[in-house]
Amino acid sequence: MKKGEIVFSAACVAFFGFMLTQTFELLGHGRSGEVGSGLWPFMALLVSIILSLLLLVSSIKKSQTAAGQGEKVLTPEAMVEKKRARVTVALSVTCFLTYIIVMPWIGFVLATFLYILAFALALGERRRWVLAVSPVLVTAVILGVFAKFITIPFPKGMGIFAEFSRLFY
Amino acid sequence: MIDHYLQAFATVLQPQNLLAMVLGSLWGLLAGALPGISTSMGVVLLLSFTYSLSPMTAFVLLVGAYLGGITGGSITSILFGIPGEPSSVPTVIEGHAIAKQGRPAFALWVFLLCSIYGGLFSTFFMIAATPLIASFALKFGPSEYFALTVLGLSVVSGLSGGSVLKGFLSCFLGLFLATIGTDGITGEERYTFDTVMLLGGINFVVAMVGLLAVSEIFIEAEEPFKEYKGGVQYRGMLREIPPFSLFKSYLLTMIRSPIIGTIVGALPGAGATIAAFLSYGEAARTAKREPEKFGKGAVEGLMAAECANNASTGGSMTTLLSLGIPGSNTTAMMIAAFMIHGMQPGPLLLSTRPDIVYGIFVSMLLTNLLLLGLTILAIRMFLELNRMPYSIFSAAIMILCVIGAYGLNNNMDDVLLMFAFSLIGYAMRKFDIPVAPCILALVLGDMAELSLRRSLLLSGGSPLILVSSPISIVLMAGALLSIVYPLFKKPKMLQGL
Repeated sequence: MKKGEIVFSAACVAFFGFMLTQTFELLGHGRSGEVGSGLWPFMALLVSIILSLLLLVSSIKKSQTAAGQGEKVLTPEAMVEKKRARVTVALSVTCFLTYIIVMPWIGFVLATFLYILAFALALGERRRWVLAVSPVLVTAVILGVFAKFITIPFPKGMGIFAEFSRLFY
Repeated sequence: MIDHYLQAFATVLQPQNLLAMVLGSLWGLLAGALPGISTSMGVVLLLSFTYSLSPMTAFVLLVGAYLGGITGGSITSILFGIPGEPSSVPTVIEGHAIAKQGRPAFALWVFLLCSIYGGLFSTFFMIAATPLIASFALKFGPSEYFALTVLGLSVVSGLSGGSVLKGFLSCFLGLFLATIGTDGITGEERYTFDTVMLLGGINFVVAMVGLLAVSEIFIEAEEPFKEYKGGVQYRGMLREIPPFSLFKSYLLTMIRSPIIGTIVGALPGAGATIAAFLSYGEAARTAKREPEKFGKGAVEGLMAAECANNASTGGSMTTLLSLGIPGSNTTAMMIAAFMIHGMQPGPLLLSTRPDIVYGIFVSMLLTNLLLLGLTILAIRMFLELNRMPYSIFSAAIMILCVIGAYGLNNNMDDVLLMFAFSLIGYAMRKFDIPVAPCILALVLGDMAELSLRRSLLLSGGSPLILVSSPISIVLMAGALLSIVYPLFKKPKMLQGL
């Protein structure tokens, strides 16, 4: 985690630094007697860079202290658990991103149904009755409330998927 | 004034508003009762659906969710020993201990009656104090407004959890994000990189949903399959109704706790958690009857914590409505609700939209009363929902987030932006950077920048205008105190909450 913190802090410095370079164009654009649009973001970014640098230094110091005390060795069980957690999060993020990307193509109904199923599987749900009943039930409730009652114009999808979506809303 | 109240009662009692009150309270109770969802997350999830509602209905709904969330956090605390909210930790200590002694209904009654009493106490305080503070604040000019926003942003210290450095980094990220889009004064584009999506700036509801709700589900995904077993046997509320004499016998606690809760709630950044712990600690320190029971099921401890955490709601809403400063994480989300409906909470709100302010007063009064009945009726339902598979529940929350972001403008750009914010929020949480200061700064950033630039315009560029009036000086000093005080005086038991 210490290494991760160092990378994260360095990324913050780089991000805020890049944005600061964009700010120079905005400085001094105000009319006479008026403060330009660059002053406020310039101040915010400058402080952000200072804070990120402080975080970076503190992370490096912590890392060195930890190295001096000897690295904490994880047990094989803890390693497996850590890996499992990472895989689960990666799968959850992938499922969610895929859901958002495919929704305009296959429509809200089908995308939602498949997402619930995939997300439950990604989180380790294996009970067949839960996997069989829940996606249908949750999709039906969401469709009833938001597509029928509140009438949000959800994406219907393209081609055959649009025809399928029109059966519901 | 009487006219305002009569009109507010007539408006709030309209069927659609009553329905919103019931639904908002139920949603809040559910969000509070389920450990995976916080009150602020519950309010954020509702925010995006309030666009299509009338302002009054939207606020009735959100007030219901806010009060319901604070109340609901104690249900699972008592029955399962799991705090639905950080503010319910003292309730776990005492309430769950009472429940384990075979008296869950008694503990639930004490929690419920004290919660309602604390909520009503602070609501009456809010009704009395808001007009007084707002009328004083009408004297404010741009420099005072700037000082006020600095005071509002100073809550970062209280919202930062472990590291104040990380809290401020989050805050300044939010201030930067608030500048993205077209500048309101010069019309220049800032950090849009020629994309149409960013021209109008970052919609704070999209950012909030991503940073707070979706990222939370990703974090929770690391430990799926939480099944809450081992709770106490609950048979119903009708047995063991506590007598009035019980509350009378703890008169000092019943007077002191809501006062502590209201005052702490009104302090920027303090909120329900600190209120509950301070009140509980004070009750433990001064207990004369059975002090040895503290930690093992002391009724007085339960009373103190519950009176105070619900009383913090009125305190927080007082500073929000009169000064535009959020007293807590959840009231920071409420600022967004005002902005969604074209209003700015603060001193002018009472004169420009008295219907909304008095409507909020009335809806807080009625919601507190409604919660008494609703909680009793809903306890069983929440217990069943706690057994719902977490994977399905979190999938449903994710879909609600997508619908919330999509429903703002009916386009997928907002959903993609929300996804980007969810990744930022996940990274922030992984490295213990609190997301609440970022959201607060995103909401207050625009106002802070505009008031600073107007002040400098008035003074011809001299920054001395920012500390030229006694009000500005007092507000700036308050901000400084608000930043510095928690660094030294944060109670040890609050570390990590």
